[in-house]
Amino acid sequence: MTGGAIVEVRDLVREYRMGEERVPALRGVSFTVEPSEYVAIVGPSGCGKSTLLNLLGVIDRPTSGTVSIAGERVDQLADARATEFRLRRIGFVFQRFYLLQALSARENVELPLAEAGMSGAERRARALELLEYVGLGRRERHRPSQLSGGEQQRVAIARALANRPALLLADEPTGELDARTGAEMIALFERLNRDGTTVVVVTHDEDLARAAKRVIHMRDGTIVDDARADPADRRVEPVGLAPEPHER
Amino acid sequence: MRLHLGQLQSLLGYGDRVDRFAVATRSAEATGDAVARINASAFGFRAHRSTDVAVETSKTFAVVSRFHRAIGTITIVASAIFLLCIMLLKVDERRRDVAALRLIGCSERTIVGSVVLEAAAISVFGSLFGVVVGGTASFLVNRHYQAVYRTPLRFSIVTGDIVVFAVALALVLGIVAGWLAARRLVRTPPLALFGR
Amino acid sequence: MLATLAIASLARHRTRTVLAILGVAVSAAMLLDMVMLSSGMRESFRGLLLSQGFQLRLSPRGTLPFDTEATIRGADSVLAVVRARPTVVAASPVLGGQLHFPTGGATITASALGVEPAVQGDYELVAGRQPAAADEIVANDATLRAIGHSLGDTVRAAAGYDPQLRTFSGERTLRIVGRVRFIYLALDQRAVALPISTLRAMGGPSSADRMSLAMVKLRPGADVERERAALHAFLPQVTVTSTAQALEQVDQRLSYFRQLAVILGSVSLIVGFLLVTTLVTVSVNERIGEIAVMRAIGVHRWRIVGQILLESSALMLIAAPLGLGLGLLTARWLDGILASFPGLPERIDFFLFQPRAAWTALGLLVVSGILAGIYPSWRSASLPIAGTLRPAAVG
Repeated sequence: MTGGAIVEVRDLVREYRMGEERVPALRGVSFTVEPSEYVAIVGPSGCGKSTLLNLLGVIDRPTSGTVSIAGERVDQLADARATEFRLRRIGFVFQRFYLLQALSARENVELPLAEAGMSGAERRARALELLEYVGLGRRERHRPSQLSGGEQQRVAIARALANRPALLLADEPTGELDARTGAEMIALFERLNRDGTTVVVVTHDEDLARAAKRVIHMRDGTIVDDARADPADRRVEPVGLAPEPHER
Repeated sequence: MRLHLGQLQSLLGYGDRVDRFAVATRSAEATGDAVARINASAFGFRAHRSTDVAVETSKTFAVVSRFHRAIGTITIVASAIFLLCIMLLKVDERRRDVAALRLIGCSERTIVGSVVLEAAAISVFGSLFGVVVGGTASFLVNRHYQAVYRTPLRFSIVTGDIVVFAVALALVLGIVAGWLAARRLVRTPPLALFGR
Repeated sequence: MLATLAIASLARHRTRTVLAILGVAVSAAMLLDMVMLSSGMRESFRGLLLSQGFQLRLSPRGTLPFDTEATIRGADSVLAVVRARPTVVAASPVLGGQLHFPTGGATITASALGVEPAVQGDYELVAGRQPAAADEIVANDATLRAIGHSLGDTVRAAAGYDPQLRTFSGERTLRIVGRVRFIYLALDQRAVALPISTLRAMGGPSSADRMSLAMVKLRPGADVERERAALHAFLPQVTVTSTAQALEQVDQRLSYFRQLAVILGSVSLIVGFLLVTTLVTVSVNERIGEIAVMRAIGVHRWRIVGQILLESSALMLIAAPLGLGLGLLTARWLDGILASFPGLPERIDFFLFQPRAAWTALGLLVVSGILAGIYPSWRSASLPIAGTLRPAAVG
């Protein structure tokens, strides 16, 4: 691995079979992500960015190539090991939040903690800490149906952070949100990154991409540009968060 | 075991005695006339129609028939519940399709009608398949019990009116189940069906 | 947490859950009824045979008790041999026949049992007393109603009746000293019992020193089969039947009900299984996305399967006791229908509740319902996560 990179991707290829045809989603992608980096992956629909995110999230397997996360090869892990890896090393935030409707906000955050074997009292404390961190300390008992889109996404982020992952992945996290709520989300991601979380987002949202420190452009399954963003172009809007950042 | 009457009478020491006479008549009217005449003039015995004797001696079978009817009733009730449950599940699976149809302007009548038609088709084809299964089972039951009890009696008979009744009942149950399931769905607002 | 999810999933679709519970309950009820039917009659008959404590029955060679009109000759010597056995506590001879009671214009015929009142095991006294003298008789309510007499009355009875000549033979005047209930006869069957010596006398020379049947009571702890074999060897003119053998005979004759019970019971089990499979399949299909999310955030496959199985378990565990109640009700109804079999002893039940068999059957249904959920839940938890989360695999 290159000097302690959190993510190392080499010659990654992913092809899908559509009937008789083989459709290449990724055509040999290589890059690394350093600890505490904030990377945005952008590109037109069908360019392969979500496929790339799925491979980084160990919820899909490449056709060829290698993926290493936090020093461990993850591209050919057996299902049980992959599941364990996702639980402990990766946090995933989805466009549609994907909260469990039957559980409260706190219980949704507790779910990965319960799976990791944490005791009830510890889980509860940790879940409340995380909800406070994302500004939803007083909404712990609310069901997802009682929360706004932005609030649901914050719960999803808190859930993703539950087991202190090495890497936070987000797939179009502002896709279902209005502009104002989207801006709040962008600020939250910036804060997460400032607090030390390595963040990789896939997005069509220009504001979210601008907020990242590094932008990887993709087209037709390959990386066409990989640039560090100009700090002057980045926006910071700390809206609706807890007064003080918490120690992690 | 069969013997000549005289020989059995002699063996048993019965003398000129029998247990009963069987009388064949030309017609149903002649039977009635014969019963009346014999009973009017008989001394110490009575004449009975064979059908009346059959009823008396068939009491066991009558009980078994009642039992089978009761089992059949329970089966029909159980089937109705299962059918309603399954229809509800199947219709629920397609709630998003139903929501989309409602949103593009299809009437409740069209949607309910299509579900009921589907349920009716399933009922008819299912019951026809059931008739084949039932007919086969009936054949096997008769083969088995005729061998066990060494009798030509038929234990199970699938008649035309039984088939018609079964198919008609299945159709009615299916239509009712489909209608109830579909009605429940079309009464839900389309956006709620989408989960919003 | 998983229990919360399981319960919430069931509560989310109340109508569906209620119907599924009802469906499984009906399956459980039918299964219970068939289990009760398959062994009920046998156990009920066994109870009946043993109710008076007699373990062996002697009948004319090659016949079963009261299967034919044949009788055992030399009854007194047979009884002497039996009573001489050290393991025998009591031997009760029974002579079967008919008594005819002239009443006004009609003649009422009743089954007659000649017994030794001190050791008899054929009836229970409801009112009055046992016959103590030769000219005393006991009768059941069906007989008393038919002949229009009651306890304490004197009646005229005959052992023989010629319907053509309308003449009686073997007539006697008997006093009704007891109202009884016959254990092995149907409730509406007219029957009387009187001292065996009286019935023999009324029957004439052909009935002398004869009996239709002898019931034998052994000491507690005696080896029934050994005694049976010994008596069989000592008394070649009789067939000695133990309770176990009598039950085998009953089993053979009533195999139809057992077979019906097995078939319908199996069908109930299969239908219950299919219902739960369908319910779980549809339920997980609806939640494919949710399941994929849980897998994506690191919940293990087996835990997801466990949650779904928890749902099907909850369904079964609620439905099973409901099915128990329903099954007992329907069993009563069905038993009432079958109880009208002509000639069936009053105390025979076709549907007998035996706790162990019932719980085994219901346990089987619960387990099969749980197993029914395994395949659909494992399948849904094994779907590719990425492909399930987004409809288009290429993004």
